[in-house]
Amino acid sequence: MMGETPNEFQLNNPPSDGISAVKFGPNSSQFLLISSWDTSVCLYDVVANHLRMRYNHPAPVLDCCFQDAVHCYSGGLDNILKVYDFNTNSGTNVGTHDAPIRCVEFCPEVNVVVTGSWDSTVKLWDPRTPCSAGSFSQPDKVYTLSVCGDRLVVGTAGRRILVWDLRNMGYVQQRRESSLKYQTRCIRCFPNKLGYVLSSIEGRVAVEYLDPSPESQKKKYAFKCHRIKENGVEMIYPVNSIAFHPLHNTFASGGSDGFVNIWDGFNKKRLCQFHRYPTSIASLAFSHDGSVLAIASSYMFENEEMKYVPEDNIFIRNVSDQETKPKS
Amino acid sequence: MGRKKKKQLKPWCWYCNREFDDEKILIQHQKAKHFKCHICHKKLYTGPGLSIHCMQVHKDKVDKVPNALPGRNNTEIEIYGMEGIPEQDLKEHERQKANKSGTSQRSGQQDDDDDDDDSNDMPPMPNQFMNGMPPMPTSGPGPGQYMPQPPMPPLPPGAMMGPMRPMGPMGPMGPMPPMGPGQMGHMGMPGPNMPMPPRPPPNFMPGMPAVPHKPAMPPPPQSTAAKPLFPSAAAAIQSTEVSGSPKMSTSMKPTFPAAAAITTASSSTASSISANATITGAPVIKKPESSSGLTSKLMHPDEDISLEEKRASLPKYQALIPGKNTIQQGMPPVSRGPPQSQGNPRMRPPVPPPQGMMAMAQGMNIQGGPPMYNMPYPGSGSNFRPQQGGGRY
Repeated sequence: MMGETPNEFQLNNPPSDGISAVKFGPNSSQFLLISSWDTSVCLYDVVANHLRMRYNHPAPVLDCCFQDAVHCYSGGLDNILKVYDFNTNSGTNVGTHDAPIRCVEFCPEVNVVVTGSWDSTVKLWDPRTPCSAGSFSQPDKVYTLSVCGDRLVVGTAGRRILVWDLRNMGYVQQRRESSLKYQTRCIRCFPNKLGYVLSSIEGRVAVEYLDPSPESQKKKYAFKCHRIKENGVEMIYPVNSIAFHPLHNTFASGGSDGFVNIWDGFNKKRLCQFHRYPTSIASLAFSHDGSVLAIASSYMFENEEMKYVPEDNIFIRNVSDQETKPKS
Repeated sequence: MGRKKKKQLKPWCWYCNREFDDEKILIQHQKAKHFKCHICHKKLYTGPGLSIHCMQVHKDKVDKVPNALPGRNNTEIEIYGMEGIPEQDLKEHERQKANKSGTSQRSGQQDDDDDDDDSNDMPPMPNQFMNGMPPMPTSGPGPGQYMPQPPMPPLPPGAMMGPMRPMGPMGPMGPMPPMGPGQMGHMGMPGPNMPMPPRPPPNFMPGMPAVPHKPAMPPPPQSTAAKPLFPSAAAAIQSTEVSGSPKMSTSMKPTFPAAAAITTASSSTASSISANATITGAPVIKKPESSSGLTSKLMHPDEDISLEEKRASLPKYQALIPGKNTIQQGMPPVSRGPPQSQGNPRMRPPVPPPQGMMAMAQGMNIQGGPPMYNMPYPGSGSNFRPQQGGGRY
């Protein structure tokens, strides 16, 4: 079996269709939330390796997040944002977008749930009620977003990037154009809040800084990755997922090439590359302490002519400091 | 005459005129003396390599090769050992040696004082160039070569610098292990980490037009030389560029559909980040092939929509979407005549296509008929789940 190495195992009974997101709980590496194209959101106990809880949307789910250890939010093609309470085992519809919800994040600093949708808005939701706390128009369909302290970085179609202040959503703090030439795939903020990492569909990752001063901006850069040469042809894969190590400010990137790399963005070094997974890496998540990395390997229809659709799998990998800590 | 030519000339360093017994030593010398980064002491392989390294890694401009003779500090000429020395200079050097050879067998480093000896027909090194130049009949850029900051011709490395700087390839990341040997390669350029493949001298004479001694020397080398060698590099570079190089970036970007639609957000008191804000490029509608000498294949559908949007348009997923207000139907891009009619009873009548809609339509590069959100899909009730083709099963 693939990946049955001592420090890695596969989850039993993974979702039956594409995995859209994996997220670890806020304060333990025991629970993993998984959203899927099979319309389900599942809570797995990765220690026991079994499915704890599961609920469904009417349609595929594109993203999910924990609010706290017992509540999660999810949204997808049905345009509905759901909150689910694991204690009572009950779900509630919180609200809707006018088009599918692509991203769902929780911002603990501001205590707000953020959703980004293909209806070109970002909406905030107050988890206490829970109810809508505002809708903010974006220049284009939202493809990815990430919160970083009280800042929100949104990546839309058309390679736009917007930096918002969650405490004052009256105006856009910064508008940028992606420094990458191709469609934005994923944005994740550094845990130290200095900047974010941005990936595109064209095997490339950029490291950028939020501080608009020229000194900070000078430090930004981009690099190529997730490319494979075969028979004189270079195949360039989308970089679907970025996940930051919560403590070391290093990050993992997952591409449609099935590889996961770990990078030290400040020192511009690759720390390691894992073995190749069976198919595209759709989502990655570190646990709160950075000791475990969840890797969703799930075909994403990059290649239309693909005859055989590989299975969807989730690998749980214990990672060491050696793999994730900057070497200094 | 043959004999003289035959006479083994010692390898010598173009930058400082020093002679060596062995080209290996010469290369070591060049790396240590002329191609060493003054900031991190990394030894690069060529002058352009050094200048690119400094630009990318340290954001520092190096426009002179260190420890070089006055006319010989051009950072844009690629010299590696004896490779790449402009032919003119080779000839000059031979001649000097020939003249001297009678008198003394000089063995070592002291070429610098050649100047003293050349009394008769050769002016001292640096000036010699000055001589050579004026009569240049050919192109303007020629002289550049001897200027500390040549204007243009040897385009490749130097010129790239500008745009390349902010977003170098992985270049600046020294030891990224297995990017695959080529990865670096196509980023092209005598990348800091890339040993410059030595080039045959005759072909590489960037800004080097005809020479007095050899008026017959055709100008072509000049144009064919450096630039085309890394055509891809230009592409690669531009691709990473943020805003700096408008003219470059336009070249590959066909259209700007979405760019137009973008300016609609809320207010715009944005504390500018103007540095990057220029609208240079636009979303890719079609993936252009990207850099590298190899053919490259972007493993992504042609439309510039996200994988999720594309996937959501598959019938099997469309069928799951509640008839409520939005996502209705994406025809399978394949078969099945689009049975779309404007009248789905379940639709909230005219869902005012929010700006998202338009953007969507635009971003979508409709060709195969990706999903038209909002398009009614007759017969698709919310809970009707056909499993027909196109899907995953």
